[in-house]
Amino acid sequence: MALAQGNTIESGRAPSPAAAVRRRLSFARRRQLFLLLFGAPAVLYVLVVAIWPLAQGVAYSFYDYSLLRPAARSFVGFENYRELFANDAARNSIVTTFVFTLSAVTLEFLLGLGIALLLWREGAFQRVCLALLLIPVTVTPIVVGLVFRALLAPDYGMLGYYLAHWGISPTRGFFGDPSTALGTLVVVDAWQWTPFMALILLAGLKSLPTDVLEAAEADGATPAQRFRIIVFPMLLPAVFLALVLRTMDAFRVFDIVFSTTNGGPADATDVLMIYAVKQGLQFFNIGFASAIANMMIVCIAVFSVAFVLLVRRADRRANEPAQ
Amino acid sequence: MGWRMNVAAAAAVAASLFLAPFALAQDKPYEGVTLTIASQNDQFASVMADLAPQFTEKTGATVKVDILSYPELLTKVTSDYIGDTKGYDIATMDIVWAGQFAETGWTVELSDLIKRDAAEINVDDIYPILMNALGNYGGKQVAFPFAGYANVLAYRTDLYEAAGLQPPDTMEELVADAKKLTNPTVPVYGFVANGQKGPAVAQDWMQYNAQMGGSIVDADGKPVLNSDANVKSLEVYKELFDDAAPPGAADYDWGGREESFRQGLAANMQTWSVGAAGYGDPSQSKVVGKFGIKVAPPGEGLPKKYGVGGWGLAINADIDAKQQEAAWAFIKWITSPEIHKAMNMNGASSYLRISETHDADLLAKFPFLPVIDETFMHGDGDYRPRIPQYPQIQDILGTAVNAVLVGDVEPKKALDDAQAEAEKLF
Repeated sequence: MALAQGNTIESGRAPSPAAAVRRRLSFARRRQLFLLLFGAPAVLYVLVVAIWPLAQGVAYSFYDYSLLRPAARSFVGFENYRELFANDAARNSIVTTFVFTLSAVTLEFLLGLGIALLLWREGAFQRVCLALLLIPVTVTPIVVGLVFRALLAPDYGMLGYYLAHWGISPTRGFFGDPSTALGTLVVVDAWQWTPFMALILLAGLKSLPTDVLEAAEADGATPAQRFRIIVFPMLLPAVFLALVLRTMDAFRVFDIVFSTTNGGPADATDVLMIYAVKQGLQFFNIGFASAIANMMIVCIAVFSVAFVLLVRRADRRANEPAQ
Repeated sequence: MGWRMNVAAAAAVAASLFLAPFALAQDKPYEGVTLTIASQNDQFASVMADLAPQFTEKTGATVKVDILSYPELLTKVTSDYIGDTKGYDIATMDIVWAGQFAETGWTVELSDLIKRDAAEINVDDIYPILMNALGNYGGKQVAFPFAGYANVLAYRTDLYEAAGLQPPDTMEELVADAKKLTNPTVPVYGFVANGQKGPAVAQDWMQYNAQMGGSIVDADGKPVLNSDANVKSLEVYKELFDDAAPPGAADYDWGGREESFRQGLAANMQTWSVGAAGYGDPSQSKVVGKFGIKVAPPGEGLPKKYGVGGWGLAINADIDAKQQEAAWAFIKWITSPEIHKAMNMNGASSYLRISETHDADLLAKFPFLPVIDETFMHGDGDYRPRIPQYPQIQDILGTAVNAVLVGDVEPKKALDDAQAEAEKLF
């Protein structure tokens, strides 16, 4: 401030507006403004790329808005949301998506935890397994779908033909029968994403303090006791992180369904994303498609918040001093 | 005289130098213009892209062909039209999009241009059914016919011979033959069609349904999905899938269906003529020399009415007049007798002109052309109703028919529910 005054006196001119602002604002405030200025491009980017389209999507969901008749757009309030729960096909999609998500994430978690525990110890075998585990994660989901579809085709699939021949699969194949199609998709999803779950859990296991585990072992705790009382509670932050990431992803499943069953047979695998894409990009019912998308966002947000709260609680517990 | 000759020669050289750019401009009227085409990924797409440089040489216009899958094409073209982004000057338009395009006015109405250039186009040489079905809807010519496909019956000559049967002339014979020719222990199946939920099963069933006397809409254009004829035809269709189709057929789309025929798994298959050339190609087919192509059999006592499909070329109404003019010039060029024949000689399998199906060179290469000619002469482009609500109707049927095929629901109940859904659209 003194320097600013000194400069003014020396130059003999009236203080510039910038100098005046500088005089009025404290250093902390100026620093805050400076940082905001640096953050502004990122904020602007998020506003333009994420918030604005999201807001548009919310706005569209209150309209009867078809791209084929844009001029006939009319405000309908919550009608699209009401339709979402009144329409049989839409309701079926919601249920199918929840069933798929719950089954896939549970299966992936159980298998992932098992694999992580098997690979916990250091060794050449574990390292090789770890490298191999990464392969499914790197394959594009649509390719995974096409590969499994070809593999399980009951007429000329390398696996499907024999499975149908020996009576292990339904005659129409695993993807062709309404009673097995969704289950098969869960297995395909698990094939691809279990390694991802295992990797997160393995990272969690490797970060556990070894002294506690060694002490428990010295005290004569059995492996099961060590897992139940020490390992699992301390692993909870990693568990919740893995669960939140996979739940968000599984809820939005599209590629493998699109490339294997396209929502069929009948409506056995008609998940919400397939339904939303059909409404938006085939029928161009932007209002209704936006309502579906918004409902999915709300569901994913609820899952995420719930998991984040659980992670925090687990984190706090894990860091609490032993009493 | 000498100096006069020299002056004249110099004047001629000067004049030619001066006038050369004008002559060039007249020779290549679209120099500097770039035409972008959104094309369905069918056989014609790559052939069109290969031939396009000839158009550039002739007119100066550069042609870029963007080859897209079916859903991608529909989405990109629609977004382009709605957003007025002028991304595509020309787009291939599926026969069933005509209603939507006519209702929205997204594309240039070509009636006046066709009338103006009728002699140049040689309109009389184009099959009338294609002129109507591949672009005309409600009197509006929203696209120009480009690639006509005929629904035909592909059958295994060796299997028919071995069983002492003649290829079918009626649907009833086809159903009976399909059951007789089925022998899962070989394995060989008498019939194959698309069964997969969605457009695949809907389109194939609509074709069989029309041949069995059914119809999706009535004379007023209103849906009659649960009519007695439709229920009956769906019952027969299910019977065929249960008794005579490969077990996985309920999950087949076009690729699966064609593959099963090429692999020798199926004895009969109704298909688009566009795929027929591939059955004789040993690199992709196990039935080379063992297949025949004939017109799709209609139901007993029903008139000859064969399914017609294919693509038109539509001009984006948003682009400026100069671009539209160049686009129209391209359409006239690519559909001209000479270039269209060259396309088909190069494997486009997309017929349009009467002269093509009677052309000696083409006949020598593709002996089944008389079947295509017969189909186009008695063609039906509306068995899949070209109404604006078609995508939704197709989706409703795609779920209903597939549910019947996989045994989830009875045909009558499925079509009753489908009808209730369809009525909401009108």
